[in-house]
Amino acid sequence: MTNTWALAALWVGLALAATLLAIWFKISTALSEIVVGTVAQLVIGVLLAQGGLLGNTQWITFLAGTGAIVLTFLAGAELDPLVFKTKWREALAIGLAGFFGPFLGCTAIAHYLLHWAIMPSWLCGVALSTTSVAVVYAVMLELGFNVTEYGKSILAACFINDLGTVIALGLIFSPFTIKTVIFIAVSVGVFAALPFVTPWFFRKYGGRVSELEAKYILFLLFAMGGLALWAGSEAVLPAYMIGMVLAGTVGKDHSLIRRLRTLTFGLLTPFYFIRAGSFVSVPALIAAPATMLILFLAKSLTKAASVYPAVRAHKYDGSSGAYYTLMMSTGLTFGTISALFGLNHKVIDQAQYSYIVGTVIASAVIPTMIANSFFLPRHLLPHALAGRKPEQAVKRQAAAEEV
Amino acid sequence: MDVALSMAADMKAKLFVLAVIRPPEPAESAEFNAVLEDSRERYERSFAPIRERARQKEIELETEIVVGHPAEQIIHRADTIQASLIVMGKRSHTILHRWMLGSNSERVLKYAHCPVMIVH
Repeated sequence: MTNTWALAALWVGLALAATLLAIWFKISTALSEIVVGTVAQLVIGVLLAQGGLLGNTQWITFLAGTGAIVLTFLAGAELDPLVFKTKWREALAIGLAGFFGPFLGCTAIAHYLLHWAIMPSWLCGVALSTTSVAVVYAVMLELGFNVTEYGKSILAACFINDLGTVIALGLIFSPFTIKTVIFIAVSVGVFAALPFVTPWFFRKYGGRVSELEAKYILFLLFAMGGLALWAGSEAVLPAYMIGMVLAGTVGKDHSLIRRLRTLTFGLLTPFYFIRAGSFVSVPALIAAPATMLILFLAKSLTKAASVYPAVRAHKYDGSSGAYYTLMMSTGLTFGTISALFGLNHKVIDQAQYSYIVGTVIASAVIPTMIANSFFLPRHLLPHALAGRKPEQAVKRQAAAEEV
Repeated sequence: MDVALSMAADMKAKLFVLAVIRPPEPAESAEFNAVLEDSRERYERSFAPIRERARQKEIELETEIVVGHPAEQIIHRADTIQASLIVMGKRSHTILHRWMLGSNSERVLKYAHCPVMIVH
């Protein structure tokens, strides 16, 4: 299919279908787009065209890559710097436990049990080490822990966990040369200057129709991404770091973040997630489902073994600890970014990519289902609320659902 | 909402209106925060006419927006405030939808500490 507009219509049409499915089934758009990409590639590839969705077309690769970079930036910009400053010890302990446990454990299992070569095993460890700040934050909002000190420290721990993943992805697979040193030195300088330069620049020139702020952010992300690639690293590493260092300034500019979200969700991330899904080989998954099961168990068990003790050490009771551990076992975006990095750089083959992405999807869905089925109701059912005030019993009130 | 308002007016009861934002699962950072902000704004807008109607009918009204699974949040809040009656709407989901996600009204009926009125 050489008609650019027809190909664009096909991809955006798939994105539209994925969004509708996400709305109907109350699942995340990212998950829906990955699944739609996988199914569409299978159906179109088999029935209509040999190349399927043509996911390696240059402009699709560019849009998808930009989507990953901007999404990573937005994830980093969600950090609350104040929480991180006050709770960095706890965050560091839980975050490093949440990263190193699955990273080392899944690498070992991929290498020794599945007999993968060492580099694919490392990639597998990186991809399965992620957590999801959003999932944990969602749980905290549900249970009202988001305002507690311990809750905030767990949230900060998730950032540390994902930072570990991004750093590992950016450094493990790149040869350490003089370019790496230059990349690190320039990055440190840029990251140190950005929190001071950016607010000044926005105050002086921002707030105009020409969207200077968005161009400035995109310039930074592309420039640092280019430098990272030149050094043999990965563009999401500086993107996440830029997001984190600007969280206290740009991250608080809701209007700007909203405009970036519109750009990201409306145009960029559909290409990223559908493309990520289109590379999943369903025949490979069907041929060896045990591989995916082993990887899923590896991720879940290593996450539980590392996070649960760390969370319990910070005074959560058993049920809350189990719930948090399950929630911290999820992580869709960084898992797929890592796997796609491995596929693009030929660290892993398509079958290994399929197993890793399949595991990432399973680990994003199954822990949530288990947690909702077996843990959540017990937190919220009446017996958990024994300390209520007697005078409340005389109130005559009604609750109406507005969902 | 009409039923809840008229019942509260007839019974001179306080009305507690709860809106539940259900995040997409699994939640992903940027999308999750976008859903939270958009939903909060939408619910705040939808509360405005309800507040006005409650004021006209001299009903004591309290509103709240929470995040989570709708059924569990309704049960939780109803118990916390010791509600005498839960009034909730029923959505006509497909069989597949109900099988995958469960019915909010069925869950509330099963676990709520007080009577539940489902309005079709």
